[in-house]
Amino acid sequence: MKKLNLRLFRMIKHSKGQNIAILIVVITGLFTYTAMNSAITNLETSLLEFYDLTNFGDVYVQMMHFPESEVHNLENLDNVKEVDARIVFDAPMITDNRDEKVSVRIVTVDKYENQINKLFVEKGTRTIGDREVLIQKQFAEARKIDVGDTITVQINGVRYPLLVKGLVSSPEFTYVMEDEQALMPRPDKFGIIFLEKDFVGLVTGMKGIYNDLVLTLEDESKYKETEKLFENRFDKYGIIRLIEKEDQLSNSVMFEEINGVKQISGFIPIVFLFVAAAILSAMISRNVKNDRLVIGILKALGYSNGQVLRHYTMYAVSIGSVGGIVGIFTGTLMSGVMTRMYLEFFYIPLLKVKVDPMNIISAVILTTVFCTLAGLYGARRVLKISPAESMRPEVPKEGNRILLEKIPSIWRNVTFTWKIVFRNIFRDKKKFVFISLGAAFTVAMSLMTFWLSDLMGGMFTDHYGGFMKMDYSIQFSQPLSKDAIMDLEKIIKPDYIEGKMEMPFEVSNGRLKKAVNIIGLEQNTKFFDFKDYQGKTVDLPKTGALLSYNLAQALDVDVGDQVLINNYIPGRSNVYVEVKGIIKQILGINVYMDLSYMETLTGKGSFNGAYINTDRNIGEDLNSLKNIGGVQSIGEMQDAFLEYLDLTILAVVFMVIFSGLLGFVIIYSMTILSINERSMEFSSLRVLGFTKTEIFGIILKENTVMSALGFVYGLPMGKLLIDAMRTVYVSDLYTFDAPINIKNIFYAYIFTTICLTIAQLITYKKIRTLNFIEALKSRTS
Amino acid sequence: MSNILFKIDNLSKNYQMGEVTVEALKEVSFEIYDGEFVVILGPSGSGKSTLLNIMGGMDVPSSGKVYFKEQDITNYNEKKLTNFRRKDVGFIFQFYNLLGNLTARENIELAVEICEDTLDIDEVIRAVNLQDRSNHFPSQMSGGEQQRVAIARAASKNPEVMLCDEPTGALDFETGISILKVLKQVNQEFKRTVIVITHNTPVAQMADRVLKMRSGRIIESYTNDSPIDPERIEW
Repeated sequence: MKKLNLRLFRMIKHSKGQNIAILIVVITGLFTYTAMNSAITNLETSLLEFYDLTNFGDVYVQMMHFPESEVHNLENLDNVKEVDARIVFDAPMITDNRDEKVSVRIVTVDKYENQINKLFVEKGTRTIGDREVLIQKQFAEARKIDVGDTITVQINGVRYPLLVKGLVSSPEFTYVMEDEQALMPRPDKFGIIFLEKDFVGLVTGMKGIYNDLVLTLEDESKYKETEKLFENRFDKYGIIRLIEKEDQLSNSVMFEEINGVKQISGFIPIVFLFVAAAILSAMISRNVKNDRLVIGILKALGYSNGQVLRHYTMYAVSIGSVGGIVGIFTGTLMSGVMTRMYLEFFYIPLLKVKVDPMNIISAVILTTVFCTLAGLYGARRVLKISPAESMRPEVPKEGNRILLEKIPSIWRNVTFTWKIVFRNIFRDKKKFVFISLGAAFTVAMSLMTFWLSDLMGGMFTDHYGGFMKMDYSIQFSQPLSKDAIMDLEKIIKPDYIEGKMEMPFEVSNGRLKKAVNIIGLEQNTKFFDFKDYQGKTVDLPKTGALLSYNLAQALDVDVGDQVLINNYIPGRSNVYVEVKGIIKQILGINVYMDLSYMETLTGKGSFNGAYINTDRNIGEDLNSLKNIGGVQSIGEMQDAFLEYLDLTILAVVFMVIFSGLLGFVIIYSMTILSINERSMEFSSLRVLGFTKTEIFGIILKENTVMSALGFVYGLPMGKLLIDAMRTVYVSDLYTFDAPINIKNIFYAYIFTTICLTIAQLITYKKIRTLNFIEALKSRTS
Repeated sequence: MSNILFKIDNLSKNYQMGEVTVEALKEVSFEIYDGEFVVILGPSGSGKSTLLNIMGGMDVPSSGKVYFKEQDITNYNEKKLTNFRRKDVGFIFQFYNLLGNLTARENIELAVEICEDTLDIDEVIRAVNLQDRSNHFPSQMSGGEQQRVAIARAASKNPEVMLCDEPTGALDFETGISILKVLKQVNQEFKRTVIVITHNTPVAQMADRVLKMRSGRIIESYTNDSPIDPERIEW
């Protein structure tokens, strides 16, 4: 080994504690980068491959009724490549457990193979006939259904036993949610089944009529033109919703997750590498300062500037390389675990867990660049050291009066040790900034974490139970009259029942538009507690509408503005509706109206669902009823969310560890550096009679003052992080809008204080073992 | 007469210390011949170290020239100066200046690694009588031993000239004598030019030639017709 490298190796070995601290930061950064990136790359490439293989549709259209005779005309529409017309509706599945409510979404398919959204057969066969069914694999697995079994589904009140021919997956349902408000898949309670088109036409009486279309386009970029053409031509059949591929529920959730993780996986490692680089650079800068004489000797021996610079830079690169290798290796291992975790939510049959060389290369480049720059920056003073100069004792640092000294009334009353403390703080401004940044980072990150965990915990209880107060939400398979609600009441005997009308419409303001469900409610509904952002109760207006905050934002409207509701129901015209209030809604986006006012859109006296409060289990009663499309139990949704919360808790634990680690490493490293740098000063104090504890007290006081500033500006930093988080995660599906409360701040402060205190206590060992006498007479380099 | 190794021509060096300009060297001129053992004698502050640093390419003069083998090294750029220090000069310092976390042998190898045509390390270690201590770290060695490592480090590069800055300054009498013996040995056995600067007058007795300095000037220069053996020096 070259002797300079040997020296480097021994130097690294000598400051083990600090190097381990930096290593941990580098490893954590690279670990998160590799784990997240690899998992997301796995997910994204597999998803795109799956889309490609199955010919994922470009446009999804929900219609009132679309006659078969028009399918050919649609195929001939400009830019339309292929068309698949289907019947899609929800229906209850009858199970052995009478109290259990299981719903399925029935999607019709061709007997043999579809052109668009081809089914990927996992088991059994693709070909189906009458009374035969293909089941989405996740649902089948959750319910332990296998090929050859029979399931019973109730369509229009009639129970149909269906023979399972195959277990399949579809690109349309990689993430299965009942609707936008469900948030979580519940594979044991809701699934997708595929029935043969003609058979469904027969049993539903919809032969030759479709309510759902999937299109592929020749040129995706011309979607807007095609949408217009389609609307002009087929509006008469009632276009409920036209959805571009990007907004297709499963696809948009997938990409939201992918993009969210991409942003986080870009941000967190950069923070960690930045911190590692800053500490490394400070350490090397200190080494160069302490090694002034060594550098002079090396130059006198004939080592060039480049060789000496490389020697010190290598320090950073070595630590970076070791950290990088360990981080990348463990991150790659973790990416397999993460990918499998994703599989619980997203189902992609072709999901391949593989090592992407590009991710590894980019991780290596990232580490190398950070560490090399840190090394070069820290070692830059090497170039300035002249060998002759280095042999002479260093000129003492010029002492300046600090600002505080200019106020004699204060300065006079400051004790000697505090004078040392203040002078040191203000003389070494870089260290001041860095230590306070360390504290601020920890405060900010832990604040974000505590806020997030609070938010996730409160999200569902606030929404279900707080905002929505029903036990069940029942969806009819078709609009029914007021009598149906009364009949339902008689049969299931709920504590309380209200009819509802929930229909999707396109709501627009100028060029801004959104397809949302408009919910018609009884005037004094007991099922919703509308509140604005100030927490003030908002009553359901007799005329006009309430908009959820996210929708109002998307449409850029305020109270008093008008929005246009595009009516797809044949024979009914578009209506301008006044925004009477904007309400807080955590999950989903909706418009709420008085039921009778909604009749201006839908026609007189009809309901397509009901909200129910009851302690009884109504599953069996509902199963016996005709016209029940689906049932959502709020309790079950909360349970599903709690499962999801376990994952979140894991993520929160990780984040807390990360943020604590950052603060710990920064304070620990900087304190050790400071002790090393000032060994002469401390030795002199020892000679004057200071005890080790008193000297430690000086360092402690310095760090406390510097950290205190970090505590102050850590709060706005945390708020910035939280705002960034809100921007990343705000979507139509949910909002991260919880305020930062005192409890969050308190926890963040306590946590940061603990981390910093531990770091300080560990550094006490260094003071205890520092050989003060040796430091005073030291001349060996 | 041997070849001229160094030709110092009107060399001056000024330092700026705050608002005061210190004239460390004032128009110094002399020559050093190949294979000589030269002692530059002078009290502290007389400019000896500054002179040695400039001759070794570690510092640059304010004016004047230094010719090494007829090459003007004061015109050298950083790269050429580094090369000059690497190939032609071996430094020995008063406080040895060994690298603390390298053993004696490793300190020597550190210098040899970047040079060509070096001496055999074992031979040099034997010459300075450090066979049994070569695997010790500087902190485990006495001052005299450390200085012998420093001499071995400088000599093993096989340089044209050894520049020694108060090599016995930090040592007791006996150890100092032993170091001077080693230097003489390097001068005679390895045929290297040795320049020793010291404030210790008796050391001049072993020199082929003596230059006396005071206040940045050479005040006297003479040839010693009968240099004595270091062992016979007394102070």
